[in-house]
Parts: sequence; structure tokens; C-alpha cells
Amino acid sequence: MKNLKLASLETAKQTVVNVAGVKIGQDLAVIAGPCSVESEAQTLETAHAVKAAGADMLRGGAFKPRTSPYAFQGLGMGGLKILAKARQETGLPIVTEVIDPRDVSWVAEFADILQIGTRNMQNFSLLKEVGRAGKPVLLKRGMHSTLEEWLNCAEYILSEGNPDVILCERGIRTFEKYTRNTLDLSAVPAIKEMTHLPIIIDPTHSTGRLSLIAPMSLAAVAAGADGLLVEVHCNPQMAMCDADQALTPDMFTNMMQRLRPLRSFMDQLPLK
Amino acid sequence: MKLEEIRRKIDKIDRELLVLLQERMGLALRTKKFKGSVSDPQREAELLARAERMNLDLVERSFTRQLLKTIIEESKRLQEEDRKLVAFQGEHGAYGEVAARSLVPSGAYIPCLEFIDVFKGVEESIIDLGVVPVENSLEGAVTQVNDLLTTTSLKVIGEAKVPVSHCLLATEVTDYREIRVVYSHPQALAQCRGFLMRNKLEPRPFYDTAGAAKMLARENPKAAAAIASSLSAELYDLEIIKEGIEDGPSNTTRFLLLSREPYTNDGDKTSIIFATAHEAGRLFSVLRLFAEANINLTRIASMPLRSDPNNYCFFLDFEGNEQNEKVASVLQQMEDLTISMKNLGSYPMDQIPS
Repeated sequence: MKNLKLASLETAKQTVVNVAGVKIGQDLAVIAGPCSVESEAQTLETAHAVKAAGADMLRGGAFKPRTSPYAFQGLGMGGLKILAKARQETGLPIVTEVIDPRDVSWVAEFADILQIGTRNMQNFSLLKEVGRAGKPVLLKRGMHSTLEEWLNCAEYILSEGNPDVILCERGIRTFEKYTRNTLDLSAVPAIKEMTHLPIIIDPTHSTGRLSLIAPMSLAAVAAGADGLLVEVHCNPQMAMCDADQALTPDMFTNMMQRLRPLRSFMDQLPLK
Repeated sequence: MKLEEIRRKIDKIDRELLVLLQERMGLALRTKKFKGSVSDPQREAELLARAERMNLDLVERSFTRQLLKTIIEESKRLQEEDRKLVAFQGEHGAYGEVAARSLVPSGAYIPCLEFIDVFKGVEESIIDLGVVPVENSLEGAVTQVNDLLTTTSLKVIGEAKVPVSHCLLATEVTDYREIRVVYSHPQALAQCRGFLMRNKLEPRPFYDTAGAAKMLARENPKAAAAIASSLSAELYDLEIIKEGIEDGPSNTTRFLLLSREPYTNDGDKTSIIFATAHEAGRLFSVLRLFAEANINLTRIASMPLRSDPNNYCFFLDFEGNEQNEKVASVLQQMEDLTISMKNLGSYPMDQIPS
């Protein structure tokens, strides 16, 4: 841990990343939206729906890292323009992934938070680039990575002068096949012992099962997570990727109605 | 050449043809001010004969004749429409044209090289109306225009506050990642300096924002983009890569609509220019009149007199109509307190907050 000059707990107080009034690391921040920006209509409809349900920010991929080169790769710059329009209409800040160091400055012109995906967690040239982009970074945990490796990647971003790093646990690979990955919920309290950076949970990619998203989201809040990153699609059957794991607006609304009260309840519990 | 490359060239030529056609129609509209009727058979015959003298093996004479006749018919139809000719400074797509379009919605917008061409065109009745920028919220007064206002015989009949929202434009085939240089007017480049630095783009000064967009559309230089209005993107078929790339909060430019005849309806704002003798308290005594009559001033600016650099003239805009009793009385009293005094007229205020 001695390499973590900026990320370790002893080096700073709890980091609060303030994005247009949403305080990640202090309030429960819920980031919701489609896996991919597919069209203006789909993105705007979903954005209005998640806003109505009480989401704090909108997620949506314009550049998609896909397992197959023949799968839908995202709308690119066109997708960013649609996200900018969704922000204009709903006021929700935008979280979107960047996968190419050449795109970082351009994506930063449109996004409020730059997301580094699980497959790019250790793409060090990309990490350095987002460290210089002047926008908060949401760093997903590599699906094969230890917590210490993860924090070293955060250190790359911090060491470029960007203090606003948000960690996101999205499940790791185990031998269990029922779920897509195994959500490592113990990472939440563990990370809080190791670093001052906020940590949020992605219940969608970690479980890959609709029925597990709400229970694991509630569990994440109970474990002390600073927020959630969850996929919602206005019409999941028609989604161009992750169709079988995106919540409908109704399911998301229902989940939100349970999440906020649970967080309020947790806040009232006496400190140990 | 590959098919794709050939098609790119064809697209470029089509775009150029349309831009040139737009220019030709504008010029044709202007000829009407010089001739009695729309139709001029002798001129048409000359035009067709000249084109037929050219020996182009792929463009047959019968086709040339048909094409030119179609163009002439269309330009005659436009002339019959009786659109108001509205002059602005700059190329098509300039912020002056954005202002002209909002002030005179169904006009024909005539680009002029210099501000003085706008003034002269209207003064000499070869143009109906003129649109000129008088001040910018960041850069201050447009001195050339203010100077011309002191000597013109024209009246102000309207104003428009246009938000200057710069767009990064490129041709459809340009990949944003390949852009290295950005052409625009130095002032626009300066207002977008942060954006250019963040994306490692080299600014290249150009004579005009819309001119840079036009050049891009016509020449399509490699790895290049332009900063101009979104209207320029529409006019030259360019892609908007990003809107609102200026660093500061968007600035506005205030434009005036000029005419030979004063505004006939009830304007609620008045512009005057005056000079006072170089004596203590002279300016104060003028301003006191407005204060005592409880008239709100919306602009006060001073400019050295070209004829007498040691002396200044003052530009004053205020709320109220010149016919209004209170205003008329103040203007009357000003006669004795100033050495020169010019009333540009009363006109409707643009209510858009700047």
C-alpha cells in the first residue's frame, strides 16, 4: 500500500465529488440510463423516465467496448450530441465511457463524468489521459483485479492532478455461472478502510439478472455504498445490447421508492 | 481514383454549384433596383449567346441553353416576389445575417464587404435596409459602425441582440480526431481559446467566421475545421461537431436595423448622438436632464471625433419615444447645451435579455 501516495486513506479526508450539485461521497448518487445511446428518441425517453423516478445522473454509452468486433460499436460523436441534448432537456449530468485516448478531450467536452470500463481499468495511457482531462472519472474495477491493483489505477489518475475519482465495483469473475459475475459487496467496506475515494456499485453487470438487481442495490446501500450505476431502458426488449438485464422505468421507479427510505434509515442508525 | 474519392469530388462540386447559385440569385435581385421591369430580353439573349460560344464537349449547347433558361426564369420569379433587400457585412452565414434574418424574416440577405457598403447601399437606394453591429457585450463598441452612424442620414428602425454561439464546423467526411487546424476570425478564435487548447487545435486567423465556413465547404482542406454560426453550417452543408464552444458565458452582439425612412409606429427606445463644448460640467448638465425627467439610459458611450481628435461625441440610448412629451422636452433643452446633436430615431426595443 505504500505506493498509494494519493489514494490511501491516510493521505486525505473523504473525497466528495461535486457534479452540478450532486455530491458523490456524501449523498446517495444514483446514475441510471441505457447501456448504449441507440437513438435520440430512446435516450430522451429513458432520460425523462429516470429523472422522474429520482435518478441524479444519466448514463449512456456512445463508444462501446464490445467482446465482438461485429457487435454494435456505439454511435460515437453522434451519441455524445444526443447525450448533450438529454442533459439540456432534463438537467441530469452525463456519465459516459471513453475507450480511446484520442477521444478523451472530445468526450470531456460533452460529458460530466468520464467512465473507464472494466476492460480498460489497466489501460495506463488511457488513465493518464483522463487524469489530465479536467473532468471527474468513474473507474470501474477490472473483472480480474484485486482491490490493490484497482487502487493503483486510481493512483494513476490522481497522480496526473485529477482528484475526482469515483470507484465502481461491477462484479468479478468466479466459477459461479448462475450470475454473470459475482458482485463483491465486501469491496464496499474494504475500500472504505483503504481509501478516501467514494465507491458505488453496478448491480446490473455484476449480476446480469433482472431479479437480482433490486435486492443487490438495497444490499449495497446497507453496506454503505455511495451510489449506484444501473441500466434502465425505456423498452428493454428492443435494446441493442444488454437487453435482458436492463430495468424498465417502472421497475426502476419501484426500486428507487425502496432505496431512498433505506438510506434515510441507515443514516439514522447510531454510529458504532 | 477510387469510387469513394470520385464521389467526394462530385459532392464538393454540387455544394459549390449551389453556393454559387445562391450568390447569383442575390446579384440578380439587386439588378432590379437599376432597371424598370423584371424582364430584359436583350440581356437574356446576350447571356445565352455567350454561354453557347463556349465549346464544352460534355456540356452540350442544348443542355446549357436549357439550364441557363431555368436559372433565369427562377431569378425572374424571385424578383417578382418583391422581397426587401437587407444588407449585412460579411459572407453568407455571418452573425450579421443571423441578425438580419430575425429582424426581417422574409427578406433577401445581401452580403457586403465593408460596413460602409451597407450604409452606402441603403443611402443610395440600391438596398432597402441595412443591419450593422453597434456593440458587443464582451468587446465593447464596434468603432467603425459607431463612426459611420455619426455621419449617416439613415434612421434606426429596429434592434436585435444576437447571442454569439460559436460552433466547430467541418465537412461531413472529416473525422474529428484528425482535425489539427481551425480557421476563423481572430475574435472568434480568441473567444474559443480554451476549447482549442484542450483539444490541441491550432488557430488559423481568417478574414471572417462565415468566410472560413465557406472556404471549408468549397476547398475541403485536410484536417481542418472552422468556427462560425450554426447558420453557416446550414448554408454550406457542414457538420456541427460541437455547439457553444466559447470559453465564457455566451456574449451577445447588438445589431441596428437601418432605413432611409424613420420607424412609423410607436417605438419605445431612442438613440441619439451628441457633442458638448469642452467645458466643465457640460456632459453632466445633459445627463441631468434625463435623470430629472426620470428617463432610463440603456447605453452611454463616448468616441473621439474624427474631425477633432481632442473632442468627443457621446452615444446615448434611452427608454421612451421621441414623440413622448417628456422625451421631446429633454431633447429640446439639449439643443442649447450641445454643439451638435443627432437623433437616430425611435424604434422597438429587443426584449431578449442580453
